[in-house]
Amino acid sequence: MNNARATQSTQAQERAPTDWKTVAMQRRIRKRYRAERRFRFFGIAAVVLSAAFLAFLLVTMVAQGWRGFTRTEIMLPIDFPASGMMVERAQLDTAGADLALAGAGLENAVKSAAAAAFGPGGESYISDNAWVSVRKAIKHDASVLDRKTQMRVPASSEVDQAMAGRGTSEILAAVAKLKNAGLVSRHLNLDFLKVSDSTDPVAVGIWGALKGSLLTMFVTFLIAFPVGVLSAIYLEEYAPRNRWTDLIEVSINNLAAVPSIIFGLLGLAVFLGSWSLFGYRVGPLLPRSAALVGGLTLALMIMPVIVIASRNAIKAVPPSIRDAALGIGASPIQVVFHHVLPLAMPGILTGTIIGMARALGETAPLLLIGMRAFIVTPPGGLTDPATVLPVQIFLWSDEVSRGFVEKTSAAIIVLLVFLLAMNGLAIYLRNKFETRW
Amino acid sequence: MLQDSAPRVPFARLVLRNGGTAIIGKLALVAGALALTACGSNTAREIRVVGSSTVYPFTTAVAEAFVNQDGGRKAPVVESIGTGGGIARFCAGVGWEYPDIANASRQMKKSEYALCQRNGVGEILQVQIGIDGVAIAEAKKGPGLHLSKRDLYLALAASPYGRPNRARMWRDVNPALPALPIQIMGPPSTSGTRDALVELILAPGCTAVDPEAKALKAQTSQAAFDERCKRIRDDGVYIDKGENDNLIVQGLSANPNALGVFGYSYLEENADRLEGAPIDGVVPSAQTIASGQYPGARPLYLYVKKRHLRAVPGLADFLALYSTMWSPNGRLASRGLIAAPEDVRAQAAQVIAQRRALKPAELH
Repeated sequence: MNNARATQSTQAQERAPTDWKTVAMQRRIRKRYRAERRFRFFGIAAVVLSAAFLAFLLVTMVAQGWRGFTRTEIMLPIDFPASGMMVERAQLDTAGADLALAGAGLENAVKSAAAAAFGPGGESYISDNAWVSVRKAIKHDASVLDRKTQMRVPASSEVDQAMAGRGTSEILAAVAKLKNAGLVSRHLNLDFLKVSDSTDPVAVGIWGALKGSLLTMFVTFLIAFPVGVLSAIYLEEYAPRNRWTDLIEVSINNLAAVPSIIFGLLGLAVFLGSWSLFGYRVGPLLPRSAALVGGLTLALMIMPVIVIASRNAIKAVPPSIRDAALGIGASPIQVVFHHVLPLAMPGILTGTIIGMARALGETAPLLLIGMRAFIVTPPGGLTDPATVLPVQIFLWSDEVSRGFVEKTSAAIIVLLVFLLAMNGLAIYLRNKFETRW
Repeated sequence: MLQDSAPRVPFARLVLRNGGTAIIGKLALVAGALALTACGSNTAREIRVVGSSTVYPFTTAVAEAFVNQDGGRKAPVVESIGTGGGIARFCAGVGWEYPDIANASRQMKKSEYALCQRNGVGEILQVQIGIDGVAIAEAKKGPGLHLSKRDLYLALAASPYGRPNRARMWRDVNPALPALPIQIMGPPSTSGTRDALVELILAPGCTAVDPEAKALKAQTSQAAFDERCKRIRDDGVYIDKGENDNLIVQGLSANPNALGVFGYSYLEENADRLEGAPIDGVVPSAQTIASGQYPGARPLYLYVKKRHLRAVPGLADFLALYSTMWSPNGRLASRGLIAAPEDVRAQAAQVIAQRRALKPAELH
């Protein structure tokens, strides 16, 4: 031992001290500084590039999408007494009011009012659904039926496009005239957040898809969170280390990387498929297009992500905490639920919410289980047919009418705000519960 | 208001009467009851429609009007999955899990009708809702090609005259055409629009230029004729843009030398950017399509399960509402549907009113 140290020190004495002043050494130093600067430049360039992509996305979305939150409305004079509509006043307070007004020819009355006000062809200036908003006004205050009145109703898609300078020269001239008379203007359209899909871009809303997303996420969370966390606790705290647990671990890691469309096929086969058992036909277990099926399918998809995140969070809890708790007489289950799980919670929640955010933006598996349909009313419950936000965006991007372009961007903004809120919640929870040792 | 006064039949009894799909025993009844309770009140299920992306804008417009009439109604669910896929799902059986209506941009095939019968679907109503044109269009600033069915066949077929298609320029097809590359964007093979392109334009073009084609068509096996006349080339000249027709419209704006294939309603909606390419001298327009002059005109259909008419609340009302909207000045016309001639409309309304089932002999 002593011998070895002695030879080492003699070697060190024999080596000449580094001369930092030589030309070769100076060159080497300059080269190192250059490499350092180059690396910092590449780092900054990477950050700037990704920030530029993000900014481009946000700017184009907001620039196109803000118009989607507004709509063109047109002032329509209606003379109800002269329209010859026969409506029983008593019916207006009952559930049959919609049918009574529709049956009384309100749609035609509104159309002829538009033709009377704006000249021949004027009925094409108001939206096909304009009479629905007139009906809402009548249900709100039935006394308008006795007088001549003016109402702001949604304008047709053509007028809306003409306001943005697109369309044939006739409609552009007509709209310019209406604009000068102050009859047509753009207004904030809160209905966009309150109603569901429509074939008319003027009348569409995002609420149906938003509610579908909320219901789907609710089911996903309800299934994936407890199952994922409990599997992680068992695998980390209780499971013996052997070939079987290794196999399970490898499978979970693999499942986390499986493309989402595969889970869609799985959901289609399990929840919506039917089998032949002993000659009898069984299934489908659940209705097509329902938020329940979507939620279950997405839960299958994000469960591995939650298991992996939770296991890492549980692993990061120092063993001393477990030992101390066991040492003062806590049972293993008390150790887990009183000490390990609370300390691991920030990591588990962050992992869960990132998984949920992925599920929120998922389209492919939902297309397979029929959540891509046109549905005019928002879902009433978990088993009602529904769509979700990303699928709604996909459907609108495929629409014939051009007014849907800005509505698509507006829907993307709603989706981004939803995602931002979820990620914000993840950061808040992490900061609130985080403990440092 | 139309009200469906016929007594409702629960779906469970529909399945019971349908011996074709399953041997019904106690277990199936129990499973069915379980499935029914799991899904809430399926006896009052919403109307379900699947099928063609060309018919989709019209059916959704009717679905919307159906709910607007009475907010208490369950909203119909309309899925756009292509005519072929839609009829396959439609024909899978009767019961609450199967669609009530198939949207189709071509007539049902005999083989599809046979599939329906094998699965116990039983009687089907065939309702023609109007006419659509397979429009071939180019950008406004495009070269203004005047094509014939013959040119399109020689440009698009995989093997004209039985030899691999090597035409790259329009001039290779017809010396009168300019030396521009052939680029045609269109829908995928599951689409009824593409089937119509093949049936209405390529196959007639084929029999016009190729003397052997007539002999092939006369054969009992259609395989050789289909190979010669109906197969579209897959070497990149025909660009498959998926079921999203807006992508084709965008593609044409970006590439003015290309042609696009889609339903006439898309051409009408984008009339300020696109114009129809005349085929055999006929420009696609509402008049030329309705009169049958334009070679790319085709009827659009709904197929309805007769048994579901009594089981699904509002299905009969939905069809009746459809028939009020398809006239030449109706709501669907403003969405780009071309109204069928009056006698065809009257006949279709009669099919709905009398619930007259389709006879297999009517298919071809």
